[in-house]
This record gives sequence, C-alpha cells and structure tokens, in this order.
Amino acid sequence: MNPDATSSESSHRTTAAAATVRAALKSDAKTAVILGTGLGDLADEIAVEATIAYRDIPGFPRSTALAHKGRLVCGRLGETPVIMMQGRCHLYEGYGLDDITLPTRVLLALGIETLIVTNAAGGVNPDYCVGDVMLIDDHINLMWLRALKPEAPAKESAANPSLARQASKRVRLYDAALATHAEQIARRNDFPLRRGVYLSVTGPSYETRAEYSAFRRMGADCVGMSTVPEVLVAAAAGVKVLGLSTVTNVARPDAPQTVSAEEVVEVAATALPKVRAIVQGIVGRASGRP
Amino acid sequence: MQGLYDKVEAAAAFIRQAWKGTPHAGVILGTGLGSLVKHIQEEASLEYGEIPHFPKSTAISHRGRLVCGKLAGLPVVAMGGRFHMYEGYPLDQITLPVRVMKALGAKLLVVSNACGGMNPYYHGGDIMLIDDHINLMGANPLIGINDDRLGPRFPDMCEPYCKKLIARALEIARRENIVAHQGVFVAVSGPNLETRAEYRFLRMIGADVVGMSTVPEVIVAVHAGLSVVGFSIITDMCLPDALEPADVSKIIATANAAEPNLTKLVLGVLAGEKPQ
Repeated sequence: MNPDATSSESSHRTTAAAATVRAALKSDAKTAVILGTGLGDLADEIAVEATIAYRDIPGFPRSTALAHKGRLVCGRLGETPVIMMQGRCHLYEGYGLDDITLPTRVLLALGIETLIVTNAAGGVNPDYCVGDVMLIDDHINLMWLRALKPEAPAKESAANPSLARQASKRVRLYDAALATHAEQIARRNDFPLRRGVYLSVTGPSYETRAEYSAFRRMGADCVGMSTVPEVLVAAAAGVKVLGLSTVTNVARPDAPQTVSAEEVVEVAATALPKVRAIVQGIVGRASGRP
Repeated sequence: MQGLYDKVEAAAAFIRQAWKGTPHAGVILGTGLGSLVKHIQEEASLEYGEIPHFPKSTAISHRGRLVCGKLAGLPVVAMGGRFHMYEGYPLDQITLPVRVMKALGAKLLVVSNACGGMNPYYHGGDIMLIDDHINLMGANPLIGINDDRLGPRFPDMCEPYCKKLIARALEIARRENIVAHQGVFVAVSGPNLETRAEYRFLRMIGADVVGMSTVPEVIVAVHAGLSVVGFSIITDMCLPDALEPADVSKIIATANAAEPNLTKLVLGVLAGEKPQ
C-alpha cells in the first residue's frame, strides 16, 4: 500500500472504475459474489448480461494466481440480478491494500447491499474433512495489515449512507441472519455445513506444522490468504456479508502431508455443489423481497 | 520479485570470479557465532560491500564478510554476519545471499542464531535443533509476482528443516555429551525484546524459543529447493514469571561460550554429507 495515498485519491480511483462497470451493467444488482479458488465455475450458471475483464476496468488489479480468471460476470441468477467476481487478487502477489480492496469498493459504489465472499482454505480444526464447506462466523486477521482508513469506505458508500450508519453500531462483521439462512439451506440440501473462525495470513508459503498448531490454539478453524481485507471494507460500509470457505486440505500437524497447489484446486471443486446451493438460496431470497 | 533473478546472477558471477569452487553448503552464522568461520580453510573472502546487491550488516557483533573455502572437507560459502529485519532491510534483500548460495550450486543451508529460551526445560548455553518454525515477523520474503526460475508460487512448508539432518546432529550431540534439544522457533521482527505477556503468548502457541532472524532465510531456502538444518543457541532464558532484564553483552558471552559445541555439531553434520 502506498502510505501517502489519501482517501480522496483512493476514492477517485473507485469512482473511475465504478463508472466503467456501471456503463456495462444491464441491471441493478444488489448482491455480489466473490468467487475463490476452484469456485470460478459458479459464474457459468448465471444468465450473463455482461462480462467485463479486469484489464478493461481502469485501475483494477489483475490476478496472477493459479485458477483465477479475472473478470466480472454480471447477469441474473434465476430472476435476481447479481455480479460475480471471477478471480481476485492477493497480498502475496505484491498488491497493496488499496489494490486488494478496490474491487470491493467498486461493488459498494455500485450499490451492493449483500456480499458473499468465498475462498479455498486449509482446515486447522482436525474435525474438518476435505471438501467440507465452512460458514465463516468470524475471523482472525494475521495479515499484518496497516489499519484500513475507516472513513474512506464509509464515504465511498455514499450510495448507501443509511447502511454505513448502521454499520457503526454493528458488532458482527459476518451477518447473523445470512448465516442462519445458509445453515437452513445446508440442512434442506442434506450436507453438513461447518461454522467456524477463518484466520488470514499473507502467504505465499503454506503453513508449517508449528504454525497450524499455533493457529489452532489461537482459535482458528481454517486458514487462508484472502477474504479479510474485502470483508473489513464491505462490513464497514454496512453491507451484509456471508463468508464461505471450502476446506481443501486438513492440517494434521502430527501426520503432515505435502500440499500441491493443483490438489488444492481439484479438491475445492468437490465442495462446489454445496457452495452453489448456498449462493443460489441466498441470492434467490435477496430477489426483490424486502 | 521482479529483477531478483538478475541480481542473484550478478552477485553469483562476482563471487565466481574470486572463487572457482562449487559449494555443497551455505552457512549463515548468527549473533556471537561468527568465529565458526575460523574453522574454514579459507580460499577466498569478500566484503559484503563489494558484492553487487548485498546489503551491509549493521548489527552488533556481526562481521560483514563472505568466506569461501572448505569446512569439514566440504566446499562451503559462509556468511560471517547476517542481515536482520529490525535493521530496516526488506526481506528480499535479507534473503538474497541464500539465493546466491543456491545459484553457486549449494544443496544445503546451515543456519544458526542466538535466541531466547521459553521452554522451561531449556537452559542458557543449550543448543536447540530447529524442528519447525512459526513466522510472526509480519512479513514474508516471497510476496510479489513469483519468478518460477527461483521456485514455486506456493512452497510447501511441511518439513522445512530436514529430519535426517536433525537426527544426525542429535546423534553427534549425544556422542559428544552436548545438551541439544529439538523444538519450535518463533520469529518476531524485534528489535525490542518481548514483554512478559508476549513470552506467555508465544509459549502458549507452541514455541520453545524466540528470535529475530532465520525464518526469512529458511522460507527462501525451501522456495529455492535447499535442504535446511537450523541451530539455535539459547543465550538467555525468557521465563515470564521470573524475567530478568536482558544484558546484550551477557547474551553474546553465552553465545561465544556455546560456540565450541555448535562448531562440533556443524562440522559433524557436514562430515556426514560426504559420500560414504
């Protein structure tokens, strides 16, 4: 992050990028989904109205990560307008915090009220199984981020000033009602949905056995390299956030196994139907009904 | 990490002009442990200042010299004096020497450090073989666009410290009647020492010793595909309920006193590397 970047510069960047996206949009989406590693295919299931490559959006950072595409897919899931981010950027790619959170701030400027954030994570809770989906109840930020400027996201969400006012009174970053709804969807679709704490690190090296043990003792259930910056920005602006982690490996520090990035991508795909059910259910409910 | 490959190649080319050998191991010596260099049959010696892209060490009791030669009969490059995050160097600079060692042909990295002991079974002057580490430095040397010529995007950290070499070092310690432990090293940036509350926290999350170095070099070594063996000298005990003010001169004296033991272990580990 450029420490000298003022919030007005960052706000100007957001406005410019949002204008480009708005010009391409066909309908007014209130819900957005950030698709994590291995979950990009969910964007194929919407009736696409517009696709915008990140490289065509001024100032948008471009993902260099494995299995991340790098485009906004806008359209309808069922009847409901939705924007899906296919691919995200990470701190380990060398991007600053302003870059990492720009897409989220653009979504806020477009008037998003509900954000579903997904990621692939390592299970630190030994009860978890590969292919599980965890509802993020809360997070631990070990990314050593310089504090986000609290006034910046609030100003930028001027489209939703009442939401931002509510946010200042909220204690939970992850919306309780959305979480309850996601759990209902999981029961109805007959799959176990874990609920736990996501711990974020920068990476890119995977965790050592000692780090997995440390994170477990700190109270984490999953560990990953994304999500927290986006959630901090969205929640500060009053957006309702639902977070989902797909468990791509489970750390058993006393019986360690090597992890390859390709395996992570492959296993993440087995969790795809579960994430799909939750996304469809949540987006469907968001449709039109107040 | 852009431009890093060229910097590594430039530094390695400069060293090759002064020394024709191919190192088997790279050796990085920590606070108070630089005199292991005296055991090297020196064939070339370079000031850090003359090697392209090498930073200059400012820390107390660290010498800024790269020594090339034979140790236990094996060709090595050894750093007398290392760089620390608390000196203000970015981690990609701190770890550049490790990449240069790899570029010169090294297969193994031997690292040592002085650390504070938090495991109450340890004592000042003991040696700990690093079994594993926790990175709490708040930084990672691999952040940036990955250069695949240097290593993979997401290096696995399942076994950063070679089990076989740990076993070999412990075996030598038993034979030589040296107290040696096997435990978890947690790295912090420093430069202030930890508070009592921080020591309790670090102990609670599973660390046995705490220090301000080593982890960046090891992450880069794993990224570059080097085997690693790491030695920590416990120079003072950090027991939160009986904490005494740290005395840097005492810490260095303890490190110096433990050095003959460290030397025996390093020489023994290297001797075991020779083809039977």
